[in-house]
Amino acid sequence: MTASLLDARGLVVRFGGVTALDGLDLSVNTGETVGLIGPNGSGKTTFFNALTGFVRIAGGRAQLAGADITGLEPRRIAARGIARTFQRLRLLLDLSVFDNLMLGQHLTLDHGLWSSVFARGRFAAAVRGQAEVARTLLAAFSPGLPARLFEPARALTMIDRRRVEICRALIRDPALLLLDEPSAGMTPDETAELMTDLLAVKARRPALTVVIIEHDMAVIERVSDRCVVLDYGRKLAEGSYAEVAADPVVRRAYLGED
Amino acid sequence: MTATIWPALAALLVSAAGVLGLLLAEKQWAVIAIVIAAGVAMLVATRLGWDDRIRRSGGAHACTVSGVALALVVATAFVLREHNFALLMLCTVLLTIVAGLGLTIQFGHAGVVNFAGAAFFGIGAYAAAVLATKTALPHPLVILAGGVCAALIGSVLVLPLLRTRGHYAALITIAFGILFKTFLEVNDTLGGPQGLKVPGFALLGHAFNDPIAIDDETEWSFYLAYAGLSLVIAAAAYVLVRRLERSWIGLAFDAVRLDETAAAAFGVNVAAWKIAAFSIGNFLIGLAGAAYAMMTGFVAPTSFTFGDSLILVSIVILGGLGNALGLVPAALIVVLLPEKLQAIQEYRFLLFALLVIVILLVRPGGLLPRPMRDYSAGEIR
Amino acid sequence: MDPGLLAQHAFNGLMLGVIYALVAVGFTLFFGVLDVIKFSHGDVVMLGAFTALAVSAGLTGAGVMSHPLVLLAMLVIAITLMAVVGALLARLLVLPLRGAPAINVLLITLMAGTVIREGVRLFYPQGSNPKPFPRLLPGGTIEIGSFTLRHDSAILFVIGVAAIVGVYLTLARTRLGLAIRAVAQDPETAAAMGIPLTATVLATFAIGSALAALAGVVNGLYYSEISFNLGLLLGAIGFSAAVVGGLGNVYGAILGGFLFAALQTIGAVALPFASAYKDVFAFAAVIVLMALRPAGLLAERSAERI
Repeated sequence: MTASLLDARGLVVRFGGVTALDGLDLSVNTGETVGLIGPNGSGKTTFFNALTGFVRIAGGRAQLAGADITGLEPRRIAARGIARTFQRLRLLLDLSVFDNLMLGQHLTLDHGLWSSVFARGRFAAAVRGQAEVARTLLAAFSPGLPARLFEPARALTMIDRRRVEICRALIRDPALLLLDEPSAGMTPDETAELMTDLLAVKARRPALTVVIIEHDMAVIERVSDRCVVLDYGRKLAEGSYAEVAADPVVRRAYLGED
Repeated sequence: MTATIWPALAALLVSAAGVLGLLLAEKQWAVIAIVIAAGVAMLVATRLGWDDRIRRSGGAHACTVSGVALALVVATAFVLREHNFALLMLCTVLLTIVAGLGLTIQFGHAGVVNFAGAAFFGIGAYAAAVLATKTALPHPLVILAGGVCAALIGSVLVLPLLRTRGHYAALITIAFGILFKTFLEVNDTLGGPQGLKVPGFALLGHAFNDPIAIDDETEWSFYLAYAGLSLVIAAAAYVLVRRLERSWIGLAFDAVRLDETAAAAFGVNVAAWKIAAFSIGNFLIGLAGAAYAMMTGFVAPTSFTFGDSLILVSIVILGGLGNALGLVPAALIVVLLPEKLQAIQEYRFLLFALLVIVILLVRPGGLLPRPMRDYSAGEIR
Repeated sequence: MDPGLLAQHAFNGLMLGVIYALVAVGFTLFFGVLDVIKFSHGDVVMLGAFTALAVSAGLTGAGVMSHPLVLLAMLVIAITLMAVVGALLARLLVLPLRGAPAINVLLITLMAGTVIREGVRLFYPQGSNPKPFPRLLPGGTIEIGSFTLRHDSAILFVIGVAAIVGVYLTLARTRLGLAIRAVAQDPETAAAMGIPLTATVLATFAIGSALAALAGVVNGLYYSEISFNLGLLLGAIGFSAAVVGGLGNVYGAILGGFLFAALQTIGAVALPFASAYKDVFAFAAVIVLMALRPAGLLAERSAERI
């Protein structure tokens, strides 16, 4: 039996009078890729925000690798090994690609006042080392990206920005990666390309656990080991893509068929 | 290909000559001519792309260029050794730059607004006045204590500042600035509206307020010693701010300023970094205030008004928000011009306000917009 | 404390509260439609007072002696001119910076305020000295025990309250008010429904600045003296009041205005230290309140979308 890495039990999130998550149970095993689908407003992003500490959890609990993370601040949850991307990209567009990736490395970098001001040689060496790490990671997504390491993120195309955002989440080797609709704003071809790269990374890091929110069913079918369907903040169905897609309840609620 | 050192050196020499000329000029037409020449030079340099070459050249030879810049300031001070007023101006510019560096860390790097810059400058000044009068603390420590006091009193504002954002945070500093000045005016132990006298700086038995006698005929201005002191403080503050900017700390500041949510998602302790930036900034501002008070020998509430805080903010915006180097031309313009051009002295608040309005409308990046942090051009040092 | 004296302090506090509320409502209206702080607002108050002073000087010079006539002329001219000034500031400085960081708007209007303030100091005849403001209202008093109510104060109080009620009715009952509320709620949807954004914004700034002019005249009549830098403190107080009440909320601004006046009055009267500390006390209280209620007393709930 595989241990579950993420274990959410009865998660409740309310915004004023609206219940966005209504007792959601969801567990994800180590190394698994779970596709999270559901209509707009069904609570998918809220689930991510609850897990990463950006919205208050009003009931239930979440555990990561057996340790409780309910109610922790976002930065503490990041330190436990959850990394995420955002539906509306949150790159720091005025900074270089490198600096964006280094935000992903924040928890491993040396922030001592003394060493920052006086140990400049050590900083230079750290930059060179980190640049190598960054180039290797970027190269896994696109051969052209490493050469643009020191360009501003603003200069990148949409797909490259997505790639950089995913790299930023991957660079510190998180236990759990949360991808919030990576296909948003991209063409189907670009999405397919991004998923190929993601699967390649997954193949090299078998322990990496991924939860992916997607509207694009082709993406879900291709990358996920298991599918969870949300509706009104609850789990509507769960199973392989084929099972879920065939489920009449899901078809009625989500695919709009009757 | 690495850039040659010459563009940066040439720019430095020309600037130094201009500043020296401005400090020495007595005729109004000469001042106006220098100001116009400087403006034209900047425009031409920008049009021809020289500014970029100068920047790259300066980046590639940062150590040498900084050394030369330092030497040029020393040389300027030496040339002015018998001109009391010009030296006082030079010191004021240098200490204003120090205060501007404090605001740059707060506002430019970490995005923590501070509309009470003059108040923190005043805290440093009053701390120096009290400590130098009432205690036997060595004067270099008095100046440091001025910075520490500013940082400590600033920490009172930390809680409300952390809990609020944007406009709300701006209000807190504005309220504090007004509160501080009113407090000084009504507090009799701190001299009330008349203020306090401050003893001059003394180091190892040498009183900085004594003229420096060379021989029986020649006497150098006592401000020469203060120019040395101001330069040491300014250089140290500049190196501190630049190195912090180009370190992982600087990246954390940038992340906090640009996107608190993204920063927190990757483990950045947003509150702690804001506190750090606010405290380091206030420390520098207080340091400048303490040194300034000991130089001028006098502190009074009227020097620390909301208008003065706005002048400090103007300098930071004018130079280019976040760019420490931009503070130099900005401080020169804001401090020197009104003193040298009597015609505008009376109108200076009006003119600077108009200048900042124009800058915000047509060139929001300021005179020298902050370049993106760049590790490729050998700037890691 | 003697009840008459208590009533006296209470009335003085209420009078201050009306002036502050008039200023604070402007701040909150501007924030409502554009999410910006127009910090030159306090200086528009001052400019309104000086405009009124100039009108009165002009009319008196021309031989018009009727107090009601002078008062009416100065109210009409000051209010109209300030409405134009407010709309111009919005058109020239605030609207062009849409899309820039919000702090730039705060800065540019701070600087615009400095321009107005310095302009009056430098270019109004002897502008750097405090100016006596004409007493145009009847000067009698009503005495109830130790409580003295000046007629002019009572009239000013009524005028101020009427203006606040007028703004409230404008917002609640008129098409313009509906447009302002719609833009404040969601500019994009409002635009999609055919509400012209620019015109609504300009109208809002005109209304807010007209209120500022009224506040300036009321302030001048109440204290019988104005000076070029009165806008700085009044602006800071109005901003504080709007923020403490909760930016964007008109009731909050009114509440905040009276609250700030109450704090000052308590600071001056009821606390053990010298009354000179009343502003120190009031601003310190504002800072503490901000720490306790970061989004103001009547905060509008809004969560950032992640």
